[in-house]
Amino acid sequence: MYKSLLCWRYLRHRYIALASVVSVMLGVATMIVVNSVMAGFADKMRSRLHGVLADVIVESYDLDGFWNHQEVMARINEVAGKDILAMAPTMETFGLAKWTVNGHPFTRQVQIIGIQPAERAKTGDFAEFLYENKEATEREKPVNMPPSFEITQKVKRNRPAGRFLEGEPENSPFEHLVNQQIEQEVSDNGTIIGFAVGHIHFDGKDVPIAPPGTKIGLVFPAAGAKPKPGYDDFTVVGFFKSGMSEYDSSHVYVPLERLQAMRLLGDGQGKGAVNQIQVKAKPGANLDKLAAKLQTALEGLRPMFFKVSTWEQKQGPLLSAVAVEQSILNILLFFIIAVAGFGILAIFSMIVVEKTRDIGVLKALGASSAGIRQIFLGYGLALGIVGSGVGMLGGLLFVWKINAIEGWLSRVTGRKVFDDGIYYFSSIPTLVEPMTVAWIVGGALFIAVVASIWPAHRASKLRPVQALRFE
Amino acid sequence: MAIQLAASGVEKAYRKGRNEVPVLHGVDLQVERGEFVAVVGQSGSGKSTLLHLLGLLDTPDTGIVQLEGERIDNLPERRRDNLRNRTFGFIFQFYHLLPELSAVENVMLPHMIRLKAFTYLKQRKAIRARATELLERVGLGHRLTHKPNELSGGEMQRAAIARALAGGPEILLADEPTGNLDSASGQSVLELLRDLNRERSLTMMMVTHDQSIAQQADRIVRLAEGRIEEWATANV
Repeated sequence: MYKSLLCWRYLRHRYIALASVVSVMLGVATMIVVNSVMAGFADKMRSRLHGVLADVIVESYDLDGFWNHQEVMARINEVAGKDILAMAPTMETFGLAKWTVNGHPFTRQVQIIGIQPAERAKTGDFAEFLYENKEATEREKPVNMPPSFEITQKVKRNRPAGRFLEGEPENSPFEHLVNQQIEQEVSDNGTIIGFAVGHIHFDGKDVPIAPPGTKIGLVFPAAGAKPKPGYDDFTVVGFFKSGMSEYDSSHVYVPLERLQAMRLLGDGQGKGAVNQIQVKAKPGANLDKLAAKLQTALEGLRPMFFKVSTWEQKQGPLLSAVAVEQSILNILLFFIIAVAGFGILAIFSMIVVEKTRDIGVLKALGASSAGIRQIFLGYGLALGIVGSGVGMLGGLLFVWKINAIEGWLSRVTGRKVFDDGIYYFSSIPTLVEPMTVAWIVGGALFIAVVASIWPAHRASKLRPVQALRFE
Repeated sequence: MAIQLAASGVEKAYRKGRNEVPVLHGVDLQVERGEFVAVVGQSGSGKSTLLHLLGLLDTPDTGIVQLEGERIDNLPERRRDNLRNRTFGFIFQFYHLLPELSAVENVMLPHMIRLKAFTYLKQRKAIRARATELLERVGLGHRLTHKPNELSGGEMQRAAIARALAGGPEILLADEPTGNLDSASGQSVLELLRDLNRERSLTMMMVTHDQSIAQQADRIVRLAEGRIEEWATANV
């Protein structure tokens, strides 16, 4: 009983020891904050990646793809129909985008993806990433564009010629002339381009360089044994903004049929080749198993032609890079707590020296060596509980209020601490994983106890008379 | 009367760096039940060491210590701890109260150490009442919840005496109990010890270097250079 009483009293009266716990506290708080923010980023990134990519992607090794996608899809349905919600054939190829705005020519290297927008929207969050506003300066605005390549009147009016009509009354005599002019300028086919393809990030703002209505020329390899470049004009109807800069700066979506025709891979009557099938699985389906099953089935259809991967496998290096970063950071941060452990060790050794006489008295009153050891081990544990407990609360509070803190820091320092232009996040994403918090707190407690073992052992080995002679 | 506590042929040396400093060279001493013995001698004569050996705070290099005819210096640690808790009560020159605990908690300490947490909690009220009673007996009824640093030297020594009595010991070992007190409070502490010796028939052994204090004991043992020099019966 005297052990817990003394632990408690030491805890309340020895402020120097509480100072040693501040380092434990800071270590725990830092680890919780860093882990929550990194988990938040990783989670957000995964959901965005997953939003762009379908659950499972069936693709051909050959860029020119396959014509029998109906047959392939039927085969997929046959082997795994019960796990599958939707499928969309797409055609993906690399290429160049060239356009001119206000006399300035632009060229970009792009990934051209031919899709049937309505079908593609069923296999992922594609539709939620589409924006039609010409100046999408506000980030993560709600969806305001249907998944369609239709060139609306609004888009057409955005052509340079359309500006003549600004301020003109309805049924102006010019309208017919201007519309004629526009029809001549605008291509029949719409395109949705990546947000970062159509904008330049400059001085904290996104400056549009390809507003809706812009005519964009795409160059891509046409099919054939000796591929020749294909070329076609498209009209920008909207932007694709997933928040993954890799996609937003390269993806250009065009109508599938048009791309097939221009790559000489379509008959112009709705039949054509595709090189990918996006598969959306039912919730809860095991994607790895599904992918493996489809791979086997498609090998039977045409050996060594199809490659089936889950979205995680496709982005494997990126996802594992994040995981590696997180674990390395954790190892480094854990050293902070280890340092705190040595602080406890040092201060505890001092306390044992200071308490030598009390230890002698306790032994003279009949306390056992084990009892003395338990006092100091218990004291270490109590300090650990205080340190990691306060650290945990502080860390969680920081995570909870991180965006307010960021705003305040930005105001005080006069510069943006978290530049949302880099990640396209309007706020710092966080995700508190209870297991991680438990591990951090448990680790800190463990270190606090381990650090007090040696001083506690030394205290218990003091012979009473040794302790009492200390005068 | 029967011999309660005895030392025979006790030798003890301390190490100071490389040198071995002999403190006791074969001491024989017998203390009877209920006796009040004063051990006098110059500083360095080994009187405190003798007290520590008798009270199992230390072990002799050679020789034996007996309690009621049974050898106790070579008992296992647990039994020695138990004897210190139940049979011996210690009083030190510098009181050695635990600064984090109040007077009454200091007096409750022997029971806290003796009992398991659950038993202690069940008996807490009774133990506290007994500790209060003891503090009242030593004249500290008004200082129960004071911390040691709020007490005067005489009061601290009285609290320490109450703590030494709390475990219900048979033998009280006092190491210069008045050494750090002015003569008035020293005298009153001594009277308290004297009274306790009488009313509870406690065996008492007191180390002092002050002849006038030693005079108040039943018997004086003089130590010089690690040996017992003379036995004298005090003229009470």
